[in-house]
Amino acid sequence: MTEEEIRGLFREMREDSVPADSLARVRMRVAERTAARRGWKLAVWVLAPLCLLMLAVALRSPAPPLRIELPALPPVRVAPAVVQSRPRHVVRRPKPPMLIRIETPDPEVVILLVGN
Amino acid sequence: MHASAVICGTARVASEPFETIVRRREAQVLRIAFRILGNWADAEDVAQETFLRLHRHGTGFRDEAALGSWLYRVTVNLCFDRTRAAKPAAEMPELQAQAISAESSVIREQAKEKLMAALAMLPAKERAAVVLREIEGLTTAEVAGVLGSSEVTVRSQISRAMARLRGVLRREEV
Repeated sequence: MTEEEIRGLFREMREDSVPADSLARVRMRVAERTAARRGWKLAVWVLAPLCLLMLAVALRSPAPPLRIELPALPPVRVAPAVVQSRPRHVVRRPKPPMLIRIETPDPEVVILLVGN
Repeated sequence: MHASAVICGTARVASEPFETIVRRREAQVLRIAFRILGNWADAEDVAQETFLRLHRHGTGFRDEAALGSWLYRVTVNLCFDRTRAAKPAAEMPELQAQAISAESSVIREQAKEKLMAALAMLPAKERAAVVLREIEGLTTAEVAGVLGSSEVTVRSQISRAMARLRGVLRREEV
Protein backbone atom coordinates (compact mmCIF):
# COMPACT_ATOMS: atom_id res chain seq x y z
CA MET A 1 0.00 0.00 0.00
CA THR A 2 1.47 3.36 -1.01
CA GLU A 3 1.39 6.56 1.01
CA GLU A 4 -1.22 8.00 -1.33
CA GLU A 5 -3.46 4.99 -0.83
CA ILE A 6 -3.06 5.30 2.93
CA ARG A 7 -3.97 8.98 2.80
CA GLY A 8 -6.95 8.13 0.60
CA LEU A 9 -8.20 5.63 3.15
CA PHE A 10 -7.74 8.18 5.93
CA ARG A 11 -9.80 10.68 4.00
CA GLU A 12 -12.55 8.11 3.61
CA MET A 13 -12.46 7.44 7.35
CA ARG A 14 -13.31 11.10 7.90
CA GLU A 15 -16.83 10.36 6.70
CA ASP A 16 -17.25 7.16 8.69
CA SER A 17 -20.31 7.20 10.85
CA VAL A 18 -20.23 6.73 14.58
CA PRO A 19 -22.40 3.94 16.03
CA ALA A 20 -25.71 5.40 17.15
CA ASP A 21 -25.77 3.38 20.37
CA SER A 22 -22.36 4.76 21.38
CA LEU A 23 -23.59 8.29 20.78
CA ALA A 24 -26.76 7.63 22.75
CA ARG A 25 -24.80 6.18 25.66
CA VAL A 26 -22.46 9.17 25.81
CA ARG A 27 -25.35 11.63 25.60
CA MET A 28 -27.30 9.82 28.31
CA ARG A 29 -24.35 9.55 30.70
CA VAL A 30 -23.39 13.18 30.20
CA ALA A 31 -26.99 14.28 30.77
CA GLU A 32 -27.21 12.22 33.99
CA ARG A 33 -23.98 13.55 35.42
CA THR A 34 -24.66 17.16 34.50
CA ALA A 35 -28.19 16.94 35.94
CA ALA A 36 -26.74 15.74 39.23
CA ARG A 37 -24.24 18.57 39.18
CA ARG A 38 -26.99 21.03 38.35
CA GLY A 39 -28.98 19.81 41.36
CA TRP A 40 -26.04 20.53 43.64
CA LYS A 41 -25.46 23.86 41.98
CA LEU A 42 -29.11 24.81 42.49
CA ALA A 43 -28.95 23.81 46.13
CA VAL A 44 -25.84 25.92 46.61
CA TRP A 45 -27.42 28.86 44.80
CA VAL A 46 -30.48 28.66 47.01
CA LEU A 47 -28.79 27.91 50.31
CA ALA A 48 -25.82 30.25 50.05
CA PRO A 49 -27.85 33.50 49.76
CA LEU A 50 -30.17 32.24 52.49
CA CYS A 51 -27.21 31.68 54.82
CA LEU A 52 -25.76 35.07 53.92
CA LEU A 53 -29.09 36.72 54.56
CA MET A 54 -29.42 35.08 57.95
CA LEU A 55 -25.87 36.07 58.81
CA ALA A 56 -26.49 39.66 57.73
CA VAL A 57 -29.66 39.85 59.79
CA ALA A 58 -27.88 38.42 62.79
CA LEU A 59 -25.04 40.90 62.47
CA ARG A 60 -26.99 44.07 61.65
CA SER A 61 -29.78 44.02 64.23
CA PRO A 62 -28.55 42.79 67.56
CA ALA A 63 -31.22 41.85 70.08
CA PRO A 64 -32.34 44.86 72.28
CA PRO A 65 -30.80 44.79 75.73
CA LEU A 66 -33.12 43.31 78.32
CA ARG A 67 -34.44 45.97 80.70
CA ILE A 68 -36.04 45.05 83.98
CA GLU A 69 -37.92 47.78 85.74
CA LEU A 70 -37.38 47.42 89.46
CA PRO A 71 -39.47 49.27 92.10
CA ALA A 72 -37.63 52.10 93.72
CA LEU A 73 -35.87 50.86 96.73
CA PRO A 74 -35.58 52.95 99.89
CA PRO A 75 -32.24 54.57 100.18
CA VAL A 76 -29.81 52.35 101.80
CA ARG A 77 -28.49 53.69 105.03
CA VAL A 78 -25.04 52.85 105.64
CA ALA A 79 -24.51 51.91 109.20
CA PRO A 80 -21.47 53.40 110.75
CA ALA A 81 -18.71 51.02 110.84
CA VAL A 82 -18.57 49.19 114.07
CA VAL A 83 -15.13 49.06 115.43
CA GLN A 84 -14.79 45.99 117.35
CA SER A 85 -12.86 46.65 120.44
CA ARG A 86 -10.69 44.12 121.98
CA PRO A 87 -12.25 42.32 124.84
CA ARG A 88 -11.11 44.02 127.89
CA HIS A 89 -9.44 42.15 130.56
CA VAL A 90 -11.99 42.39 133.31
CA VAL A 91 -10.98 41.74 136.84
CA ARG A 92 -13.89 40.37 138.57
CA ARG A 93 -14.20 41.15 142.18
CA PRO A 94 -15.59 38.42 144.37
CA LYS A 95 -19.17 39.19 145.27
CA PRO A 96 -20.02 39.13 148.97
CA PRO A 97 -21.85 35.93 149.90
CA MET A 98 -25.63 36.19 150.12
CA LEU A 99 -26.81 36.13 153.71
CA ILE A 100 -30.38 35.34 154.66
CA ARG A 101 -31.30 35.83 158.24
CA ILE A 102 -34.39 34.10 159.55
CA GLU A 103 -35.49 35.00 163.02
CA THR A 104 -37.38 32.54 165.09
CA PRO A 105 -39.87 33.26 167.91
CA ASP A 106 -37.09 32.52 170.27
CA PRO A 107 -34.93 35.57 170.32
CA GLU A 108 -32.03 33.41 171.16
CA VAL A 109 -32.38 31.36 167.97
CA VAL A 110 -31.58 32.99 164.62
CA ILE A 111 -31.16 31.00 161.43
CA LEU A 112 -28.58 32.32 159.02
CA LEU A 113 -28.45 31.00 155.46
CA VAL A 114 -25.33 31.77 153.50
CA GLY A 115 -25.24 31.26 149.75
CA ASN A 116 -22.98 32.10 146.80
CA MET B 1 -18.14 18.71 8.60
CA HIS B 2 -14.46 19.24 7.95
CA ALA B 3 -12.48 19.68 11.13
CA SER B 4 -10.63 22.79 9.97
CA ALA B 5 -13.93 24.39 9.17
CA VAL B 6 -15.02 23.62 12.70
CA ILE B 7 -11.88 25.06 14.25
CA CYS B 8 -11.99 28.19 12.13
CA GLY B 9 -15.72 28.66 12.59
CA THR B 10 -17.70 31.67 13.56
CA ALA B 11 -18.42 33.18 16.93
CA ARG B 12 -21.76 31.49 17.38
CA VAL B 13 -20.68 29.44 20.38
CA ALA B 14 -20.77 32.26 22.88
CA SER B 15 -24.45 31.97 23.72
CA GLU B 16 -24.98 28.32 22.84
CA PRO B 17 -26.34 26.07 25.58
CA PHE B 18 -24.28 23.11 26.74
CA GLU B 19 -26.71 20.48 25.40
CA THR B 20 -26.55 21.95 21.90
CA ILE B 21 -22.76 21.87 21.91
CA VAL B 22 -22.83 18.23 23.04
CA ARG B 23 -25.18 17.25 20.22
CA ARG B 24 -23.14 19.13 17.66
CA ARG B 25 -19.75 17.81 18.76
CA GLU B 26 -20.38 14.36 20.25
CA ALA B 27 -19.77 12.41 17.03
CA GLN B 28 -16.54 14.26 16.36
CA VAL B 29 -15.17 13.76 19.90
CA LEU B 30 -16.20 10.10 19.92
CA ARG B 31 -14.64 9.47 16.52
CA ILE B 32 -11.29 11.01 17.47
CA ALA B 33 -11.20 9.06 20.72
CA PHE B 34 -11.99 5.85 18.86
CA ARG B 35 -9.29 6.46 16.26
CA ILE B 36 -6.68 7.00 18.97
CA LEU B 37 -7.83 4.33 21.43
CA GLY B 38 -9.03 1.70 18.98
CA ASN B 39 -12.18 0.62 20.83
CA TRP B 40 -15.60 2.14 21.33
CA ALA B 41 -15.94 1.44 25.07
CA ASP B 42 -12.87 3.49 25.96
CA ALA B 43 -13.82 6.11 23.38
CA GLU B 44 -17.22 6.52 25.04
CA ASP B 45 -15.58 7.02 28.45
CA VAL B 46 -13.24 9.65 27.02
CA ALA B 47 -16.08 11.44 25.22
CA GLN B 48 -18.15 11.47 28.39
CA GLU B 49 -15.27 12.86 30.46
CA THR B 50 -14.53 15.48 27.78
CA PHE B 51 -18.08 16.81 27.92
CA LEU B 52 -18.18 16.74 31.71
CA ARG B 53 -15.04 18.85 31.71
CA LEU B 54 -16.67 21.18 29.23
CA HIS B 55 -19.63 21.47 31.60
CA ARG B 56 -17.33 22.33 34.51
CA HIS B 57 -15.29 24.72 32.35
CA GLY B 58 -18.36 26.45 30.98
CA THR B 59 -19.28 27.18 27.40
CA GLY B 60 -18.13 30.76 27.33
CA PHE B 61 -15.61 30.43 24.53
CA ARG B 62 -14.84 33.48 22.49
CA ASP B 63 -15.63 31.67 19.24
CA GLU B 64 -16.12 28.30 17.60
CA ALA B 65 -12.40 27.94 16.95
CA ALA B 66 -11.57 28.27 20.62
CA LEU B 67 -14.19 25.67 21.51
CA GLY B 68 -12.96 23.28 18.80
CA SER B 69 -9.37 23.65 19.87
CA TRP B 70 -10.29 23.12 23.55
CA LEU B 71 -12.30 19.98 22.74
CA TYR B 72 -9.52 18.49 20.61
CA ARG B 73 -6.92 19.19 23.29
CA VAL B 74 -8.95 17.69 26.14
CA THR B 75 -9.98 14.64 24.10
CA VAL B 76 -6.43 13.91 22.97
CA ASN B 77 -5.01 14.42 26.47
CA LEU B 78 -7.60 12.08 27.98
CA CYS B 79 -6.72 9.51 25.31
CA PHE B 80 -3.03 9.91 26.21
CA ASP B 81 -3.86 9.31 29.86
CA ARG B 82 -5.60 6.10 28.89
CA THR B 83 -2.85 4.87 26.57
CA ARG B 84 0.03 5.86 28.88
CA ALA B 85 -0.22 2.67 30.89
CA ALA B 86 -1.00 0.44 27.91
CA LYS B 87 1.76 -0.22 25.40
CA PRO B 88 0.95 0.00 21.71
CA ALA B 89 0.01 -3.27 20.10
CA ALA B 90 3.08 -5.26 19.18
CA GLU B 91 1.35 -7.20 16.49
CA MET B 92 -1.47 -6.59 14.09
CA PRO B 93 -4.67 -7.54 15.89
CA GLU B 94 -6.67 -10.33 14.39
CA LEU B 95 -9.24 -8.83 12.11
CA GLN B 96 -12.77 -10.09 12.12
CA ALA B 97 -13.17 -12.85 9.61
CA GLN B 98 -15.21 -11.62 6.67
CA ALA B 99 -16.37 -13.42 3.63
CA ILE B 100 -13.98 -12.52 0.85
CA SER B 101 -15.96 -10.73 -1.74
CA ALA B 102 -15.01 -9.23 -5.03
CA GLU B 103 -16.93 -6.13 -4.25
CA SER B 104 -14.68 -3.14 -3.93
CA SER B 105 -16.50 -1.68 -0.95
CA VAL B 106 -15.76 -4.77 1.11
CA ILE B 107 -12.12 -4.65 0.03
CA ARG B 108 -11.97 -0.99 1.03
CA GLU B 109 -13.50 -1.79 4.40
CA GLN B 110 -10.95 -4.54 4.96
CA ALA B 111 -8.14 -2.18 3.99
CA LYS B 112 -9.48 0.39 6.45
CA GLU B 113 -9.59 -2.20 9.20
CA LYS B 114 -6.00 -3.18 8.44
CA LEU B 115 -4.99 0.46 8.50
CA MET B 116 -6.73 1.00 11.84
CA ALA B 117 -4.97 -2.04 13.24
CA ALA B 118 -1.63 -0.71 12.01
CA LEU B 119 -2.46 2.68 13.50
CA ALA B 120 -2.93 1.02 16.89
CA MET B 121 0.72 -0.08 16.76
CA LEU B 122 2.03 3.49 16.62
CA PRO B 123 3.16 5.40 19.71
CA ALA B 124 0.34 7.51 21.14
CA LYS B 125 1.73 10.90 20.07
CA GLU B 126 2.33 9.80 16.49
CA ARG B 127 -1.10 8.19 16.39
CA ALA B 128 -2.74 11.38 17.63
CA ALA B 129 -0.83 13.48 15.11
CA VAL B 130 -1.91 11.22 12.24
CA VAL B 131 -5.54 11.10 13.43
CA LEU B 132 -5.78 14.86 13.74
CA ARG B 133 -3.88 15.71 10.57
CA GLU B 134 -4.85 12.95 8.17
CA ILE B 135 -8.28 11.83 9.37
CA GLU B 136 -9.71 14.94 11.02
CA GLY B 137 -8.06 17.20 8.46
CA LEU B 138 -6.55 19.77 10.82
CA THR B 139 -3.66 21.85 9.59
CA THR B 140 -0.17 21.15 10.89
CA ALA B 141 -0.30 24.35 12.96
CA GLU B 142 -3.61 23.32 14.51
CA VAL B 143 -2.29 19.86 15.32
CA ALA B 144 0.78 21.44 16.92
CA GLY B 145 -1.51 23.67 18.99
CA VAL B 146 -3.59 20.71 20.17
CA LEU B 147 -0.59 18.53 21.00
CA GLY B 148 1.37 21.39 22.53
CA SER B 149 4.38 20.90 20.28
CA SER B 150 5.98 22.67 17.35
CA GLU B 151 4.96 22.31 13.72
CA VAL B 152 8.35 20.78 12.91
CA THR B 153 7.78 18.10 15.54
CA VAL B 154 4.32 17.35 14.16
CA ARG B 155 5.64 17.05 10.60
CA SER B 156 8.35 14.71 11.74
CA GLN B 157 5.90 12.63 13.79
CA ILE B 158 3.55 12.29 10.82
CA SER B 159 6.37 11.41 8.45
CA ARG B 160 7.69 8.74 10.85
CA ALA B 161 4.19 7.41 11.41
CA MET B 162 3.47 7.13 7.69
CA ALA B 163 6.74 5.26 7.15
CA ARG B 164 5.83 2.84 9.95
CA LEU B 165 2.32 2.34 8.58
CA ARG B 166 3.70 1.59 5.13
CA GLY B 167 6.11 -0.91 6.62
CA VAL B 168 3.47 -2.69 8.67
CA LEU B 169 0.99 -2.86 5.80
CA ARG B 170 3.69 -4.08 3.41
CA ARG B 171 4.53 -6.92 5.78
CA GLU B 172 0.84 -7.76 5.93
CA GLU B 173 0.59 -7.94 2.16
CA VAL B 174 3.50 -10.35 1.87
